[in-house]
Amino acid sequence: MSLRLWPRTLAARTAVVLLLGLALVQVAGLTIHAFDRIDLQRYAFVRDVAVRSMTVYRAVVLTPPLQRGAVLQELPRGPALSAELSDGPPLLDMPELPPHLQHELQVNMRLVPLPPILRPHDLRMLGGPGLPQLVIGMQLPDGDWLNLTVAVERPRPWHSPAFLWAFVLMTAAAALLTLWAVRRLTRPVGVLAAAAEALGRDVNAPPLPEDGPLEVATAAAAFNTMAARIRRFVQDRTELLTAIGHDLRTPITRLKLRAEFMEDEEQRRKMLSDLDELEAMVSATLAFGRDATSAEPVAPLDLAELLRTVLDEAGDACPDAAERIGYDGPAHMTLRARSLALKRALANLVTNAVNYGGGALVRLAPPADGVVRIDVDDDGPGIPPGELDRVFEPFHRGEPSRNRETGGVGLGLPIARNILRAHGGDVTLANRPSGGVRATVTLPA
Amino acid sequence: MEQTPHILVVDDDREIRDLLGRFLEKNRLRVTAARDAREARRAWVNGHYQLVVLDLMLPGEGGLELARWMRGQSDVPIVMLTAMGEETDRIVGLELGADDYVPKPFNPRELLARIRAVLRRAGDHAEHRAEAGTARALRFADWTLEPARRRLLNPEGVEVALTGGEYDLLMALLERPNRVLTRDMLLDLLRGRQAGPFDRAIDVAISRLRRKLEGGGRSAQLIKTVRGGGYVLAAAVERL
Repeated sequence: MSLRLWPRTLAARTAVVLLLGLALVQVAGLTIHAFDRIDLQRYAFVRDVAVRSMTVYRAVVLTPPLQRGAVLQELPRGPALSAELSDGPPLLDMPELPPHLQHELQVNMRLVPLPPILRPHDLRMLGGPGLPQLVIGMQLPDGDWLNLTVAVERPRPWHSPAFLWAFVLMTAAAALLTLWAVRRLTRPVGVLAAAAEALGRDVNAPPLPEDGPLEVATAAAAFNTMAARIRRFVQDRTELLTAIGHDLRTPITRLKLRAEFMEDEEQRRKMLSDLDELEAMVSATLAFGRDATSAEPVAPLDLAELLRTVLDEAGDACPDAAERIGYDGPAHMTLRARSLALKRALANLVTNAVNYGGGALVRLAPPADGVVRIDVDDDGPGIPPGELDRVFEPFHRGEPSRNRETGGVGLGLPIARNILRAHGGDVTLANRPSGGVRATVTLPA
Repeated sequence: MEQTPHILVVDDDREIRDLLGRFLEKNRLRVTAARDAREARRAWVNGHYQLVVLDLMLPGEGGLELARWMRGQSDVPIVMLTAMGEETDRIVGLELGADDYVPKPFNPRELLARIRAVLRRAGDHAEHRAEAGTARALRFADWTLEPARRRLLNPEGVEVALTGGEYDLLMALLERPNRVLTRDMLLDLLRGRQAGPFDRAIDVAISRLRRKLEGGGRSAQLIKTVRGGGYVLAAAVERL
């Protein structure tokens, strides 16, 4: 239960903590306010009762004894107060009023001016907290008693309607302000996460703006520095590779020419095929170095024809596998992309399937939810599950036994992934339940 | 019979120059080699060449400069040796009027096939050859072929991919519209490109090309088979 209530996002958690704190403060404030109000109401009540009692008493004491009954009848007394004349103190089964209240009442009674001689000779106060009425007996100078009964108002701490509205309004305003501030303050965390994600996909992602609160700006600056170092590192390595690749072209050319002068036809053929392999590695290395900064424009192309052309070329290059190379999908599908780069990416996937899986069945699915999906299936031995994502790491070369016969530098898949991600798509590998590997390509339609 | 074609090879690597010279001479071509642009100009003045094999990456004055200079002098066909995969070099080279390009490291036999094809094209078609090289685009039946980018665009402007063989074939047909190309000519074009038997490769490439050009049943058959073994492109070609 508590786990379900504890939200996942930083903004929501902060908001919950702050709102709980706000609620606590409000409850405490309300309690203090209520106690205060009860106190005030009691004070006002005591004062009111004291003054009203004394006013009645004064009217009675200043009247000759015979007329007192009539005066008492006509006297305006205010609500909830009844008075009677008696020859003795009030005889009710009620406790005495607590001493501090008695004292308070007496102090207030003295506010009504009266010569000391006329003041009550004796006082009896009955009642107490929680009792519905208060009885005050005042002995007149001639020995009679004036007994007053006052209905006690219950304390009403929440009485004022304006107070309720103000409270609701205040709480709502504070809550909204909290939510807004939390959202604003936690937004940089989201921005940072998005930037880290973007950097993972593309080292050349634009830097973060280094503004906002000091901590956020510092974090953004640190992040940008880190990104620049990574970029530098990747660039250095790529430049090194490209330089090696460039330098290898001349010796490979020479060797290819020399092979043409070899007498032994079989040795010549083998040497040329070795050199082709070497060239393919160099070419993959150069392609890997170049794709990061591809400047090819995006233009409409027929993806279905592109796939078929890639498959035709794979079949031409490897006639033994041609039987197991096939295409399934619409005859035409227009897509905007960088055609040379996309062709290289798809060719790498198809070549992989042919080399490692003995064939390639390509299925092109029509766009759904803005995504075009291409499956490249082979019937090979599959890939151990632990390797499925590692094969996308540059220079990773699967298990050694697979490479000895097929060569490669382990750049085909990284290049394909780089290109597809640069198009806003991706490629993943999975083992099919029926055997073989399926490469799934997604591209924005 | 025509005389042995004379080729000027410009490359800064001595070994490659010598080996390529020997290889081409072994294949009945005459070769003069030059190390850089300066030597090439000197050789240019002293001889008459049917074709130039030019490395784009030359020390000092670059290959592109030299190609531009040669273009100013004559229509001599140029086959460029470009750095592998450097698209921009290739595009600039072809736009400058190179007739073909071969990425380095090249397969000597493929280079030889390209040289022969360009030579034949030049002899075949002397009056149009220069234009063919420099044309930015060739239009036929609403389709467009951009030689520099090796792009085929359908009437809607959508790129339709071609294999290398298909491109060579289409280019050959476009350069000779309404003229029959014999199987022998086409064989020569595709040699050095395809692994399988060449005869079958041509039939396959032609049928794929037909499928691509007739996608959606938009137009009547553009590539017609001629009885007795040959193909012809039945469309007017416009150079842009």
